[in-house]
Amino acid sequence: MIWKIAKKEFLLNLMTFKFAVGAVACIVLTAVFMPILAADYQQRLGTYNRNVGDNETELRNVKVYRSITHTIYRPPAVLSAFSAGMEKQMVGNAKIELDKVPELSVTQRKGNPYLPIFAVFDESLIFKIIISILALLVAYDVISGEREQGTLKLMLSGATARHQVLLGKIMAGLVTLCVPVAITFVIGLVILISFPMVALSGSDWVRIGLMFVASIAFTLIMYQLGLLFSCLTRRSAISMVLGLFVWIIFAIVIPNASVQLATQIRPLESEEKRDGRMLSLKNDLARELGDIKVDFSSSLITSDEGDVFGGYYAKRRDIYWLHAEQKLNSLDIPVKLRYADKFWELEHSNLNSFFGQRTLANRLSRISPISIYENVIAILAGTDLTSFQDFINQVKIHRNEVVGYIRSRTDNFSSASFFAVCTEEESAEYTKLYLQKEKAGDEQAKARAEQALKEWELENPVKAVSLNLQDFPWFKYRPTLAGDLEKAIPDLVMLAIANVVLFAASFVAFLRYDVR
Amino acid sequence: MIRQIAYREILENFLSLRFALSLLLTTCLFAVCGYVFVIDYQGQSKDYWKKMNENLAALRKQSSALYQVAFYQQGIYSRPQPLAMCAEGQAKALPNFFEVNAFTADLPKTKGRVNFALPQFNSVDWALIISLILSFAALVFTYDIICGEKEVGTLRLMLASTIPRYKVLLGKYLGAMVTLAIPLIIGMLVSLIIIISSKDVAIDGGKWIKILAIMVVSLLYLSIFVLLGMFVSSRTGHSANSMAILLLVWVASVILLPSFCRIIFDVAYIESTEQELQRRLREASDEIWNNHEKYGKNAGSMSNNLSDPINNPPARARLQNAIMDAKNQILQEHHSRWLEQALARRDFASVSPAVIYQRACEAIAGTGINRCADLYGQVKRYGADLKEFVRSRDMEDPESLHLIGPERNMASSWRAISHNPVDFDTVPKFQERDLALGESLKLAIWDIGLLVLFNLVFFAASFVSFLRYDVR
Repeated sequence: MIWKIAKKEFLLNLMTFKFAVGAVACIVLTAVFMPILAADYQQRLGTYNRNVGDNETELRNVKVYRSITHTIYRPPAVLSAFSAGMEKQMVGNAKIELDKVPELSVTQRKGNPYLPIFAVFDESLIFKIIISILALLVAYDVISGEREQGTLKLMLSGATARHQVLLGKIMAGLVTLCVPVAITFVIGLVILISFPMVALSGSDWVRIGLMFVASIAFTLIMYQLGLLFSCLTRRSAISMVLGLFVWIIFAIVIPNASVQLATQIRPLESEEKRDGRMLSLKNDLARELGDIKVDFSSSLITSDEGDVFGGYYAKRRDIYWLHAEQKLNSLDIPVKLRYADKFWELEHSNLNSFFGQRTLANRLSRISPISIYENVIAILAGTDLTSFQDFINQVKIHRNEVVGYIRSRTDNFSSASFFAVCTEEESAEYTKLYLQKEKAGDEQAKARAEQALKEWELENPVKAVSLNLQDFPWFKYRPTLAGDLEKAIPDLVMLAIANVVLFAASFVAFLRYDVR
Repeated sequence: MIRQIAYREILENFLSLRFALSLLLTTCLFAVCGYVFVIDYQGQSKDYWKKMNENLAALRKQSSALYQVAFYQQGIYSRPQPLAMCAEGQAKALPNFFEVNAFTADLPKTKGRVNFALPQFNSVDWALIISLILSFAALVFTYDIICGEKEVGTLRLMLASTIPRYKVLLGKYLGAMVTLAIPLIIGMLVSLIIIISSKDVAIDGGKWIKILAIMVVSLLYLSIFVLLGMFVSSRTGHSANSMAILLLVWVASVILLPSFCRIIFDVAYIESTEQELQRRLREASDEIWNNHEKYGKNAGSMSNNLSDPINNPPARARLQNAIMDAKNQILQEHHSRWLEQALARRDFASVSPAVIYQRACEAIAGTGINRCADLYGQVKRYGADLKEFVRSRDMEDPESLHLIGPERNMASSWRAISHNPVDFDTVPKFQERDLALGESLKLAIWDIGLLVLFNLVFFAASFVSFLRYDVR
């Protein structure tokens, strides 16, 4: 019996005007905007590939360990077409440095300050707005409309139980709404895949599958909401008005108000205070570095060369300078490393006040199923805040590995290979010959010394070879599917609970419904 | 007869659920808007006055020597606006900080703690409530205004008597407008009462008129949706169909269209970058340096020794002034290009009545992009005034070389500008002026015209459709 009711209802729904309008709107929007989104992704991917390639070539040419200051880039999320999340608000790269711990940063818009608003569009907007309205419109007259027409009386006068009717109607709604949801997904994916640079991996398909499930669950919530109002009211006009007002509260009022409320509950710390703390820390660092006294007065020869990443290395220096620089590095690099952690703590707490507001706003907005849904999709697409935090944590681990690597290679930053391409022996020999030349008594001795120096230099040319990075801890970004799923579970469960609660409520309401 | 129909319509609406819901929702939102605004405004104005006083105190210190006044880099913030409550115009994210001295004004910057990590940082203001919530309520009130009566059968009865159709239409329009005006006015009053009772926000005569103007524009905007509802209602036979169409139109025009237009614009528009600006600045200064002989003999000498015969101070000052003029010219062009882009983007989105309405409200309230640009103009004029002041004061000092130029070194070590102390009270200080009512109305006049046009089109459309409506 349930099936019969569901089938009748489904066929009726398919023929309605509202269904046609909603489905066409979904198709047109997807067809128009998916190419734009995919092209945008392709462009970002191109930039990313170029950046990573350039960075690696440069890193392979590094001459001294000090110059290992490469940048790590986050690959753009391919599913950002489904949910833009924070993809455009966050900076997707971080530099590896000895005196700085990498941390996320919010994109500071360069360029035109009169365009402060990012125009964000993604597939989830279609679901959040059009399909949710469509679900309400399909559901509002399911019970009250049949009562008005008098068919409900007829239906219930037979042997059909009320729960069968209700289940049949829900079934019909589910199948009806699956149609536009599936069409939107299929068209979107076909367009996305047709772009040559877009490649979807197995885990991406799992994510897409879950997105589809979440979309269906969300649509069902909106449908059941309409159904509940339909069971509570006697006239379909009233149930529609109720449904639409609830929709506007869910879609517009709650998302805006939660942001507003979050900024009031958790105000940001004033800029001056933070700058003050930063400054005092900087002063501390400068003082501690100032305390390290190394005597450079006996150094003789200066000859530096530019290295990759804007660094430089010492080419051929005297032994006195070399020793002084070695001593300086072995003393002040540990201080810098220590302060890097302190600076990071400050930066992190500052960032946390930004993210705290956002997280709070997100939590508050969970009253609305639309916001829950938005959140799930962002997590599944890998574009929400936590995925960026995940990325930066991996980069932080990578930095520690790099620091450890440099430390082990340069004997705690004290070896000459940290900053120079010449060895100590070379330097000592070079200094000896150089001093012979400088201190030569007469012209003849000087000429001889000069000759000896030249010969030595010919025999020992500057060996500016790139470092052997065979066991360098190369970075590999691993977006973890399991981790993302874990994060998505609470929201998915909330969607399921909302469905069950709404079903129970409409069940009770319908059992007590006066069919006259 | 029109009045009777309107009266009946209003009474019927008053008793309906949709009226109660929209009244409740809008009143709550307006109250929240007023409350949040008062708290924000208090914090912002405290900050503003603190920063402005710091700036004045620093300027006072400089008044021990005239040339220091000229070179001091003043930081000017934009003042929080009481009417931002009506239409904030993304004031929190727009540039709010201007640096100026007697010779140049830097490009506007955004300073302060804007949390760009938040999903959207436009506040809940009147324009938002009206453009989103009340326009929606307008559709809910009107979707069954014609076809609903047809379904019930009363339309036939009404038209069976001698009432002409246009009277029915006008009566219903008036009824819907009055019902809609009630939540609007009550909401505005609630918001205003909260603000006035806080005593921190001063609203004077001119501002009351502006608020009134915003109210009129709001009614004009809502009337579009009422007429749209009547039009669709008199084109369809079933109220369910009319609701479906109206919802689609509403979602498309109010929510989707503005953001789509922005995306398309951003894809199509190539903005002039920071690098390009720097390149142009460099080229201009190189060009002047290469032709430095044009400004007099040895104009390009950079020697800091006054007694060095190679120096030609007047020529050097001319050269420096020429460089500064070129720089100011380029900055000006860059700024106007920014502005052009931002305005073009907004104009592009103005197919949507919601965007037109928000733009009109911003113009009347004196907030948003236009105000930023106006403030930047004021800051630049102030810089020019300051330069004039320095010039006139400099004339009084016989020891000065009277070479007003942007090179600080010349002024400090050569006395190119007087070193005499100045009376701080006579130094011009920056005073922000609001746009006058006339000017802001002039800015809004096109938008008001467009809103009226929308009204006329939909009125004509609904009139024609209703005349041909099949009442059976």
